[in-house]
Amino acid sequence: MHFMLVTEAQGKALLRAAAIATPSSQELRSLDEARTCRIELPVAVKAQVAAGGRGKAGGIRKANSPAELENAFDAIMGMRFAGEAPSSVLVESWLDIERELYLAVAIDSRVGGFNVLYSPRGGVTIEDGPPPLSYPVGLARNFRAHAFRALLAPVESDPKVRERVISIARRLLDIAQANECTTVEINPLVVARGGALIAADAKVVLDEAAAFRKAATASAIAASRDRAEREIRLCEEASLMLVWLDGEIGLISGGAGMTMAAMDAIDGAGAQPACFLDVSGNPTPAGFGLAFDLLDRAPNVKGILVSMFGGGLHTDRVAKTLVELLARRTSSKPVTLRLNGTRSDLATTILRDAGHRNHATLEAAVTDIVKQVGEARS
Amino acid sequence: MSILLDADARVLIVGITGKFGTFSVKDLAQSQTRVVAGVAPGRGGQTIEGVPVFSSVAAAMKETHANAALIYVPAAVALDAVLETIEAGCPLIAYPGDGLPVLDAMEMRAAALEHGAHLVGPNSPGLISPGKAKLGFMPSFCYAPGPIGVISRSGSLSYEACFRLSSAGLGQTSVIGIGGDPVRGVNAAEAIALFHGDPDTRAIVYLGEIGGSEEYALAEYAGRPDAKPSAALLVGRTAPAGKKMGHAAAMIGSYAESWAAKVEALDRAGVVIARDLDGLAAAAAAALARAMKPAA
Repeated sequence: MHFMLVTEAQGKALLRAAAIATPSSQELRSLDEARTCRIELPVAVKAQVAAGGRGKAGGIRKANSPAELENAFDAIMGMRFAGEAPSSVLVESWLDIERELYLAVAIDSRVGGFNVLYSPRGGVTIEDGPPPLSYPVGLARNFRAHAFRALLAPVESDPKVRERVISIARRLLDIAQANECTTVEINPLVVARGGALIAADAKVVLDEAAAFRKAATASAIAASRDRAEREIRLCEEASLMLVWLDGEIGLISGGAGMTMAAMDAIDGAGAQPACFLDVSGNPTPAGFGLAFDLLDRAPNVKGILVSMFGGGLHTDRVAKTLVELLARRTSSKPVTLRLNGTRSDLATTILRDAGHRNHATLEAAVTDIVKQVGEARS
Repeated sequence: MSILLDADARVLIVGITGKFGTFSVKDLAQSQTRVVAGVAPGRGGQTIEGVPVFSSVAAAMKETHANAALIYVPAAVALDAVLETIEAGCPLIAYPGDGLPVLDAMEMRAAALEHGAHLVGPNSPGLISPGKAKLGFMPSFCYAPGPIGVISRSGSLSYEACFRLSSAGLGQTSVIGIGGDPVRGVNAAEAIALFHGDPDTRAIVYLGEIGGSEEYALAEYAGRPDAKPSAALLVGRTAPAGKKMGHAAAMIGSYAESWAAKVEALDRAGVVIARDLDGLAAAAAAALARAMKPAA
């Protein structure tokens, strides 16, 4: 993990600290708190999760009465969003909306830094419309109001809105710089009756790499690790990268690019990978041991492919590790091995002496495991 | 020829007294690369594997006329080390480290551009011009001299891909790892421009992935009438949207970041597409064959 989405309530606290208007709100963690909620009705009741797509999944409701508020709180706290339980519920006064805008700052690889994005039509359908206006800023200190104003003129016809957007954009850059965020997005940025601009939502993504000098980021990572599924947590602690997928071939590989290449090769051979599992961060008996343990237990995994290309990695050491591990292993799921690169001649000998075959290429190994899994099924 | 790094390279290693730095002195020597200096604050006057150590980059540059730097320091002090090296006048710098905060990557990139220096990295194995010199930690046996310029977002993929190209007789002028982070020194567009200007590079091979937008730089280049022929392999065809695949930048956030959208843009621009690693050597050979033929 390198980037971490925080909850809306956490994101809005950052906006408020920069004097960006947000609806009056209260964060609720218990039914008692819901009963004594002081926000004037009607209200929006919103699940607080660090996962996207919450609105479409029913995580945002309107409540017109105290009873509706309690019901909405109960319902939302019982839901799961991409496997995640809400940490709390945010209750906000219902906004009288004239228009919804979109405003964000985000890191962009081709800009080499921050990009400011604006659309005069924001809201949930932003992704279906034309792409937002883009102002490539780079370093935050390179933001120039006059340059952004010139870009905005043909897109935003209301000069008052334009000036307010410019002022908020500069503050979003300040927030991103000061808190080391890779994204600070307001969607929608609401034009309320009377013309005030109010941030109705906040999506803030923290740069995890900055945790060594940002205490808030470090504690957000610790909290997210506590919430994560046990297996993901174990892998993170052991410096393995795991993403579960839907297929049947358990894949243990080295390096992000090569792991994806192996996933694609499995697809090319007519099967599907069960995971992205990169052990290059810890190619030791402990690392491989955990990888096999997870895949042997996973019911959807029908066979395991170990594919490593040794660059700096000595494949003969990996071979020794695998021989010991396979001798101890109790699972009967088929395993196919492919160790290529640095000292792979030695690796082949070590494997052969222990009764295992080392496939010469990724493609040969993939073909073999896909065939074995297919035979076991039929 | 090659890009950025040639047989006249005089390398200094910042962080030479660390584990990676000391390993690298021996590793580079085996790749016919001259390591002329090391830098470690407070350790000036010592030697590591016969290489003189200086307390500052400026002192090392003055004494040894180094012209390329390899930076092996922890992420927390990498920005300072890279700025010191850029400001000491070193024209070529590789910073392979990962886990670098994006704000620091942005500052490194801006400083390199301001000083006219080339920065390779972060989160990259570096740069190699096979048979000439190496500025990084990639395994030398994977590479062979030849006419192909290789650009890669992934270290592990570039090792195996180049091993396959070399085994198929398709050697490389230079191989540059532009890195797996969202903000980098030399980016895809800049690497392409360097290969375009190198007379010995006859074709370009691009190793990309899902996420981000770097691949569109190749599509834009390939559409030019004077473009050198190119081939591309993008990995992550089977990766689901919204999940990060190891690299910080390898995540499909929008359609434009998906495998299908990128491959379509590259294909339309005339880039030879390798659907899998298995098809890479053939795609590279096809691109090279176009370079050998006079334009119709």
